[in-house]
Amino acid sequence: MSAAGRVRAEATGAMRTFLRRRTAVFFTFFFPVVLIVIFAGLVRTQGGSSAGLFSQPTGYYLPAYLATVVLFTPLSRVGSEVARYRADNRFEKLATTPLSRAEWLAAHALVNVVLIVLAAAVLVVALLLTGANFTVSPWLAFFVPAASVLFCGIGAILGSLADGQDGAIAASNGIALPLLFLSETFVQPALFPAWFRPLLNASPLVYFARGVRAATFTGGDGVVFNAGVVLVLAVVAFGVGAALIPWTE
Amino acid sequence: MDSVLVADDVAKSYGDAAALRGVSLSVSEGEVFALVGPNGAGKTTLVRCLTGTTTPDGGRVELLGEPPQDAQKQRLGLLPQSFSPPDRLTAAELVGYYAGLYADSRAPDAVLESVGLDPDDATRYGDLSGGQRRRACVAAALVNDPDVLFLDEPTTGVDPAGRHALWSVFEGLAADGTTIVLTTHDMAEASALADRVGLLADGDIAATGTPADLVAAHAGSPRLVVDTDADPELAGFDCTRTDAGLVFEGVDPTAVGEIAAALDDADVAFDALSWREPSLEDAYLALAGDAERGEVVQ
Repeated sequence: MSAAGRVRAEATGAMRTFLRRRTAVFFTFFFPVVLIVIFAGLVRTQGGSSAGLFSQPTGYYLPAYLATVVLFTPLSRVGSEVARYRADNRFEKLATTPLSRAEWLAAHALVNVVLIVLAAAVLVVALLLTGANFTVSPWLAFFVPAASVLFCGIGAILGSLADGQDGAIAASNGIALPLLFLSETFVQPALFPAWFRPLLNASPLVYFARGVRAATFTGGDGVVFNAGVVLVLAVVAFGVGAALIPWTE
Repeated sequence: MDSVLVADDVAKSYGDAAALRGVSLSVSEGEVFALVGPNGAGKTTLVRCLTGTTTPDGGRVELLGEPPQDAQKQRLGLLPQSFSPPDRLTAAELVGYYAGLYADSRAPDAVLESVGLDPDDATRYGDLSGGQRRRACVAAALVNDPDVLFLDEPTTGVDPAGRHALWSVFEGLAADGTTIVLTTHDMAEASALADRVGLLADGDIAATGTPADLVAAHAGSPRLVVDTDADPELAGFDCTRTDAGLVFEGVDPTAVGEIAAALDDADVAFDALSWREPSLEDAYLALAGDAERGEVVQ
């Protein structure tokens, strides 16, 4: 069996398993819709001030809404899957098959990319229905999968370092929530103190937000640079995540 | 026969706790080798060293002529201890999933039928009985038609009928030349399946041999136990008074009638007579006790 065949076998098993967890499926797609209902439907653009929360048009926040699925789903899913596979001795079994760590992570990243692209599509359509003004850029077809792979890699790192499934989920939530608000997504940089703003560059999510916003709302400046950074970070996170997977004891 | 598996002075520690203290063994092609031993003796750690899923701190392991990490995965099968595969898949999907990881695999339906599961059963793994789950896991370990199969407590939690059904599967594999290394707490299983048994105690091999050799060397002699409160002196027979009754050691089954007659002649009333041949369990208990006391027998 080729590497592609092994990845397909692992991804098929993982996708079937996910689709049969009705609660997980429901909340994967329900979560972004809830966010849109709350922020784009109920809170809405405040207008007037350019510095307050939700002071920008809804289209400005498209990266933030997309970030909720690109960030949370792979971090928590891959992190908890790594912990679950280790606890159930599935990695011990897989280590005696031709499947490699990188193939395993590629399979699970693929499953996440499919789910996140679907969830992102739901989200984009829902936002358009609210009358949000943004461009449906072809760059989205790069940024959403690439960022998903990036956070799958980070999820694998968290799952490998955590001492169990609960720890992996707690760690992923503990990291995802601050990242979501410190990455030029829902909160504009101008709202942070001047000394803190350079630190925003440390967030991997910030390059996704800047790139998506440039492609869909503010114009094309910076799309290529941010796409390049996201790509490099995705490759690095995937490589480190794959290397750390507790395949053997 | 050629050795397909060699462990030489294998040691492994977790922190200050030594799990293996220089284990050496070899398993020949087509042999069924059972590792027995008390909980915590190091059986699972040894299986992990042999399969390359952990790295020993010292010593050498060769599997199919290579370090285990480099051995051809196509030729290996493993059922890990406490293994729990994805529980939302049916047995057929589960076996199909593992089949998809190999370049060459058996038809999943045929493998499932060989372990007594219905390939058309749509019940998910999580809803199967304990015995059916274990059979599905065994099927997953067999799907690549391995030359060397490691089974870490393959029948734990399986009812007697299911256990015997799995034994039949393992016997069939052994008859076809598959080398099997299994760990078990069930001495009947080791006796029924193994060509050789290795007793692992406190991280070291205390004894190895065929079940018959181990029984002959360590299990003591056949004994007759008479359920009575009496403590008579019978001419020509030595017996010991124990809590279980009168115990006659080294009694041939043909002598049971003579002892019964002697008891009758001595007016000894008894409720029952039980004669028992020494078993691997007796050898295990004797050896495990020796090992615990530091009297390791090689």
